[in-house]
Amino acid sequence: MSAFASVAPPYNMPATSRGDTLLNDTAEARSRALNQFLASVELKAYKIAQAGLRHQDDALDAVQDAMLQLARAYADRPAEEWKPLFYRILENRIRDMQRRRTVRGRVMAWLPFRKDEDDEESDPIAQAPSPDLPPVARLELDEAMTALDGALRQLPNRQRQAFLLRNLEGLDVAQTAQAMGCSEGSVKTHYFRALQALRLKLGDFEL
Amino acid sequence: MNASDGEPSQSTLLQSGLEVRSRLVLEEGLSRIDARTRSRLNQARQAAVAEAANGSALAWLQRAFTRHALMPAGAAAAAALIAVFMLSGGHHLPPSAADSPASALDVLDLVTDDDAMNLMEENDSSFYEWAAAQGDSPGQGGPGAGQGAGGTTT
Repeated sequence: MSAFASVAPPYNMPATSRGDTLLNDTAEARSRALNQFLASVELKAYKIAQAGLRHQDDALDAVQDAMLQLARAYADRPAEEWKPLFYRILENRIRDMQRRRTVRGRVMAWLPFRKDEDDEESDPIAQAPSPDLPPVARLELDEAMTALDGALRQLPNRQRQAFLLRNLEGLDVAQTAQAMGCSEGSVKTHYFRALQALRLKLGDFEL
Repeated sequence: MNASDGEPSQSTLLQSGLEVRSRLVLEEGLSRIDARTRSRLNQARQAAVAEAANGSALAWLQRAFTRHALMPAGAAAAAALIAVFMLSGGHHLPPSAADSPASALDVLDLVTDDDAMNLMEENDSSFYEWAAAQGDSPGQGGPGAGQGAGGTTT
């Protein structure tokens, strides 16, 4: 016991204060990094969710859930792991909502007075044309967006996921595989088939 | 991509062109996301960051509690365990025959029995045989037993 009594305490108040300050600084830096990361992916994530769910509010809910789950469960992970983790969470959320909607659609099909939930109110501000483009270019871009949007909607889920994660978000094959929860070979296959299907529908897709 | 390896490079160029153009169109679509949606995404982001900050604060509190409160508590608990072990150590020693309450009563009976005391003072070895018989069969401590013992002395 005397040996224990002769050992000085491993910490004292000034050191603790310094440690607390460091912890606070680390927490603030992590919050800033998380905020920057989420800001960098939120629009693309929303676009991906909207392509999968075809519903504005559902897409917003999916992105919000993915953000919260990432913050709760993975905020302490290295920042370079956030992107594939975030898109993995988002894809799972989109799939869950698609399944729920399928079940709900089957139930609602039996009801006599049902409302078609795919009817979205269009926002006139959102639909307003971009002011910095000449009318002809704007019209061509609108047509291209409509065509691409329609072609993407006709793709199977996995092909659309692979295409959007690779082409819109810019994930590499390994990150896409991590986000989709499959092998890199599967990612290449899905991506190639998506490109084939889009080329069949869109041709050269000239702008 | 592997399936196009055997095809002419024009196919690859078409695919590359498709990828580039579709990326441009998709990015243009991002710029057209309306203000309401951007606002909601911003709110969702702020809520997530606040959630992470709360989680960090909770983790910090847990670490601080572990360091400042649980460590002395753990030391006190360890000291208490050691004290209990040391105080209760005697119970783990093999009990001697003299420590048992039954043995103490037997000794008291022997001391209060006049015949037994006489035999012990005479240093007769038959006393010890009788005492052993008394200890082995408590039911024999009655009047009949006393008579038997007296018979041996006469």
